[in-house]
Amino acid sequence: MIGLRGVEVAAGAFSVGPLDLDVPAGEYAVLLGPSGAGKTLVLEALAGVRRVRAGRLFVDGADVTRLPAERRRVGLVFQDGLLFPHLSVAANVAYGFHRGNGERTGWLRRPSAERLAQLAEEVGITHLLKRRPQTLSGGERQRVALARALAARPRALLLDEPLSAVDVEAREELQEVLRSVCRREGLTVLHVTHDRAEAFALADTCALLVDGTLRQTGRPQDVLRWPADEAVARFLGARNVVRAVRDESDARLAHLATGVALRVADPLPAAAVDLVVRPEDVEVWPVGAAPPGAANRLRATVVRLVLQGGHVLVGAESPAPMEALVTARRAEDLGLRVGAAVELTVAPACVHSIPTT
Amino acid sequence: MRGRRLSLFWAACAVAGALLVAFVVLPAASMIAGAGAGFLGEALRQGDIRRSLWLTVSAALIATAIAFVVGVPLAYLLARRDFVGKRAIEGIIDLPIVFPHTAAGIALLMVWGRDGIMGRLLAPFGISFTETVAGIVLAMLFVSLPFLVDTSRETFALVDERYEHVARTLGSSPGGAFLRVTFPQAWRGVLAGAVLMWGRGISEFGAVVILAYNPKVISVLTFELFEGFGLRAAQPPAVLIVIVAFVVFLVVRTVLLPRRGRSRKGSA
Repeated sequence: MIGLRGVEVAAGAFSVGPLDLDVPAGEYAVLLGPSGAGKTLVLEALAGVRRVRAGRLFVDGADVTRLPAERRRVGLVFQDGLLFPHLSVAANVAYGFHRGNGERTGWLRRPSAERLAQLAEEVGITHLLKRRPQTLSGGERQRVALARALAARPRALLLDEPLSAVDVEAREELQEVLRSVCRREGLTVLHVTHDRAEAFALADTCALLVDGTLRQTGRPQDVLRWPADEAVARFLGARNVVRAVRDESDARLAHLATGVALRVADPLPAAAVDLVVRPEDVEVWPVGAAPPGAANRLRATVVRLVLQGGHVLVGAESPAPMEALVTARRAEDLGLRVGAAVELTVAPACVHSIPTT
Repeated sequence: MRGRRLSLFWAACAVAGALLVAFVVLPAASMIAGAGAGFLGEALRQGDIRRSLWLTVSAALIATAIAFVVGVPLAYLLARRDFVGKRAIEGIIDLPIVFPHTAAGIALLMVWGRDGIMGRLLAPFGISFTETVAGIVLAMLFVSLPFLVDTSRETFALVDERYEHVARTLGSSPGGAFLRVTFPQAWRGVLAGAVLMWGRGISEFGAVVILAYNPKVISVLTFELFEGFGLRAAQPPAVLIVIVAFVVFLVVRTVLLPRRGRSRKGSA
């Protein structure tokens, strides 16, 4: 397991924390946050290459706060692989063998050679072992970096944006390798990224770090559905965040400043709230075509259309300013164009409310 | 039009460079040409020139070795750590570059001479720095150590510190990470600094002549021959040291430092 208790880390004037986080043994946790949130500082502190200002760090149940990096048995993979350029791929992977799990095997003597072959097979780099790091692609470099970290038999693995320097195709393959290898090795992983898709593809647990503070921890789908605050909601792509007040007699009804009211599924937690609606939960209809009885019907005018891969982001002006995400096919069927009048509907269960801070 | 402007620019650079190269080459070439064809054999046949050449080369080598042992750790410290007084230490290390070398000799004499604090301290052990090889090494070390320390510091700074972080998590101590990961990536820069330092050492005159006129290094011998017997007599040792230095620099730059220049672009 990995544990942080009241951890504070500083770099110049910027500081992170205090942070409390638990990653149970064998779990894949992703520390997600925008660039500059302090994610890498947390990893460096866990790896032992940066001092903590306060708090305690735990790996595999042991307090490692004062242990030097070389005795923590924590693997570290950076976004650019950082393979040692003066060593071959095989020598890079074998770098940490002398320490692994108490075995002192010497340079490529039999147990190490076997382990090297096994690791190379596991991460798919057998054909690269004799190559120099400079001749590898971004994806290959990351595979070698992963094998090198695993060779030292770490108790936990720390990954710092490991997929960000890899092209899209290799990224998907590498995600699969990461997931399967870490599961097979039973590793506890803390993976840092700013990429939401990467986080949700890999994480058992997501921890949101914004402006140096841990805002929310939970399963990816829960974090996505119930963001803890406006900053988390916006970072996770909930583009519709509007301020509202609770109706005095109906706790499931929220009034916007524009006079329109939105119905929610659960009672509002406070008198003043931020309502959060994900764009994919907003449905777009031709005027008058929305199902009768649908709650939260809004007349709107399309003001912006942005093609996003197979989807279209529809910006609409209405009493509750909304953006909707529809498939490109649906947008075509609806004949969407800027200036068109449409009707929007949002199911009450899709309106999440956060007490206003 | 743009291509024409660019080619004009490069032509201007080439002309400026050619002028500078000619400025350096011309005195050396005319000195070699003026010495005549058989000068090398003639120079090497003279025992005092041979001894002086060996003394100069070896004393500069010893000074470089001492600077390597103490200067490389300092360079690494300066490249990797921020601490109070770091700028002051960097300034102090560079001080010999701006010191007039005769003044450096006098300053060294005041500390390491017979009446200096270090001179008095080491005299009981039979170690003297006036008119000895030790004095020559000391003078060469003082005036040329910035070349090794500065070049090494810049080279270490170019190696991404995160390589060491990875090595530490793979079980290396800080020293192990330095020896197994950082130094192998930085050795070319350190060697370049050592060669620069050695080159500066063999050419030293001002500090050496004040601390140890004897035994004579090649610069002192050249000066003495020039003063006593004129230009013609001073040419053989002068030409000899220029050729030795040139050959060493050429070998190091072309054989040992092949990655310098364009091919280093993008590497650590």
